[in-house]
Amino acid sequence: MSTQPSRTVFLVDMQSFFANIEKLEKPALEDHPVVVAGDPEIRSGVILAACPLAKKWGVKTAEALWEAENKCPYLVVIKPRMQLYLDISVNIAASLESFTDEVEPYSIDEIFVEMTNVLSGVGVTAEEAADIVITKIYRETGMVARVGVGPNKVMAKMACDHFAKKQPDGIFHLHENNLQEKLWPRPVGDMFGVGTRMERHFHDMGIRTIGQLARTNLSDLQKRWGINGELLYWTAHGWDESPVTIDTHIRRKAIGHHMTLPRDYRSWEEIKVVLMELSEEVARRVRANRYLGTTVTAGARGHDFFNQPSGFHRQVKLPDPTNDGHVIFEAVEQLFLTHWNRDPVRSLGVSLDGLTTDEARQMSLFAPDHEREELNHTVDHLKNKHGDAAVLRASSLTAGGQALLRAQKLGGHYK
Amino acid sequence: MHFTIDTNTFINGVQQANKAVSSRTTIPILTGIKIRATATGITLIGSDSDISIETFIPSSDEEHEYITIHEEGEMVLQAKYFAEIVRKMPGDALTLKKEGQMAASIASDNVVFNLNGYDPDNYPRLPQLQEEQVFQLPQYLLKDIISQTVFAVSSQETRPVLTGVNFTITDKELTATATDSHRLAMRTISVEAEEALDIKNVIIPGKSLVELNRILDDREDMVTIVVTSTQVLFKIDHLLFFSRLLDGKFPLTSHMIPTEGKTTVTLSTKALNRSLERAMLLSREVKNNVVHVKSVGTDQLEISSISAEVGKVKETIEATDLNGEELEIAFNGKNISDALKVIDSETISVLFTGAMSPFVIRPMNEKQMIHLFSPVRTS
Repeated sequence: MSTQPSRTVFLVDMQSFFANIEKLEKPALEDHPVVVAGDPEIRSGVILAACPLAKKWGVKTAEALWEAENKCPYLVVIKPRMQLYLDISVNIAASLESFTDEVEPYSIDEIFVEMTNVLSGVGVTAEEAADIVITKIYRETGMVARVGVGPNKVMAKMACDHFAKKQPDGIFHLHENNLQEKLWPRPVGDMFGVGTRMERHFHDMGIRTIGQLARTNLSDLQKRWGINGELLYWTAHGWDESPVTIDTHIRRKAIGHHMTLPRDYRSWEEIKVVLMELSEEVARRVRANRYLGTTVTAGARGHDFFNQPSGFHRQVKLPDPTNDGHVIFEAVEQLFLTHWNRDPVRSLGVSLDGLTTDEARQMSLFAPDHEREELNHTVDHLKNKHGDAAVLRASSLTAGGQALLRAQKLGGHYK
Repeated sequence: MHFTIDTNTFINGVQQANKAVSSRTTIPILTGIKIRATATGITLIGSDSDISIETFIPSSDEEHEYITIHEEGEMVLQAKYFAEIVRKMPGDALTLKKEGQMAASIASDNVVFNLNGYDPDNYPRLPQLQEEQVFQLPQYLLKDIISQTVFAVSSQETRPVLTGVNFTITDKELTATATDSHRLAMRTISVEAEEALDIKNVIIPGKSLVELNRILDDREDMVTIVVTSTQVLFKIDHLLFFSRLLDGKFPLTSHMIPTEGKTTVTLSTKALNRSLERAMLLSREVKNNVVHVKSVGTDQLEISSISAEVGKVKETIEATDLNGEELEIAFNGKNISDALKVIDSETISVLFTGAMSPFVIRPMNEKQMIHLFSPVRTS
């Protein structure tokens, strides 16, 4: 197998996702053991999620409700609200996009993030970045996340499932150098891709640990299980080439970007620069997710919004769906010049909604849509490869510009 | 006011004025029709403030006597009831008489209606237009120009000027242009006007033109058109049709029509339209009505359409002539089909300038009509 350029992939996993959402929604339950179960009325229903308190009582995910209730008599049982969980899951994935476009929701409470190009630009270690991710998710949603770090998706997943969840900081980095020490002694059933049936087959062959599988003759595995056998062999060696693929199936309502400024901005000239940066950023994420959007929203707030509310939040519908930052900015500019009352501004936001797929896009007779798309895709490509600072607007180098500063930070956070 | 009139003649007049009346107006009196009786005849006026129609019924012509005026005067009656009442009157003649301040009695044979009205002094005056910019067209031609362009106006209010058809005149040549920014329809025609007449950026709302087209006949009679900076007036026989013009600047379109392209195709109008309609059976549920077209060899076009949920369709049609580079393009089939429906010619020529740039459809051997389309980018 050829040597691949070294990658860094995160698997971000939300602890007791459903149960913790319910506890956040109902603060009175904070000190109670809570489970979310299929149907609380039916005692044979299955536990979908158990909060850490319930787990202390020995309650396990996927066991029958009656079993759980036998273990823990004070158990609070809640009916699942899948739409709510899904919305929060989508929000977390969207929030992770402030680090990179390459975000792949793997399940409702697990998200892959390709961090390779992000880290190289800002001089942050993978562990530091993982800590920033966990803090960000906790601040924004109250969810406790764990991060498995690996050179690919399979390793990140195993790093998370078998190690990160047991670490006090919720972070574990599985890499080539600790693979043999950490992963190989583990039972073969713990390996990604090995189910109970496969585990039995391996046991029959005398393979009990992941390390034993790694040392098995590849051709034997190929002969017996074909391509799947080969795949498992490479997994045991920590090799996996599958890319983090952006998921386009989750229907999102809006893609937006919001920024708190380092100081009050008073002049339109300075505000304009940031709005242009925000518009470009929103457009880039809209393109990365293969959307077009029709409604532009712009907003601004003063520095003490809660005590001295100032600012506005307005939207406008575009004649045609767009994924172009310049078109978004023109709408934002129009909104700003109409609704901004010249109060000092401390935070700014731009978002695009009315999202539709960009699979088929009606070109305009008047606007050079196609030329703009080609230009934008080139810029996206450069930024993905060489970091956000690779291509900037000249205006971003003026006093008000934030883009260069942000490019040196991770998802808007200081190192 | 008091007169007796031939019922059928009156029904026609009331129906024409009623075309301008909207039930959704914000000015209550505009839900009424204004009736003015003078010695020479009856004038009926309807308006929704965008469009106003004034029609005149003369008391008599060479052959017939239609009206007997007993007393001159003015009234405004609720159009909704008045038009229906008149239409359902049993006798050959009906008599309308002012009762009290604003009410009216409408009688025919043994039927009598009493209808409340509005004060006619409160009815807005129709605009008085300076007749400086004037030209003439036969009715049937005006009707053609409208139906060949108005379908292409935008239905979105985000760019108001595009909801109208732009009229320009230079060198006694009139050009009407409509576009929704995805397609453009343009028709040119010679008009009778003063040599020096130069009209630019006269944008008539598409809605007004659709209404006007319902009034126009396929006749040779001339229509006189008066243009000012805010209003346009069409004078047709005994009828005056006023419309507000749209504010703003119509985009410059003359430079957009490509004259040279990469692929030219000549083919049957009907064959293409039928093929598009079949292709759209599957794609019409999807927003863009995306249809794919590909050249096959030197004399065929492959037309296909795919809907992930429903299925797909593929067919080939013969081209009379196919020259230039290989072609592969996708577009909104509905836009093309709309244009083909207003082309009389049996064959059309299509000029493609690349998969991502606009293409032109013209009737064969016809320079006066142009349809321009922007493609759809797929994948």
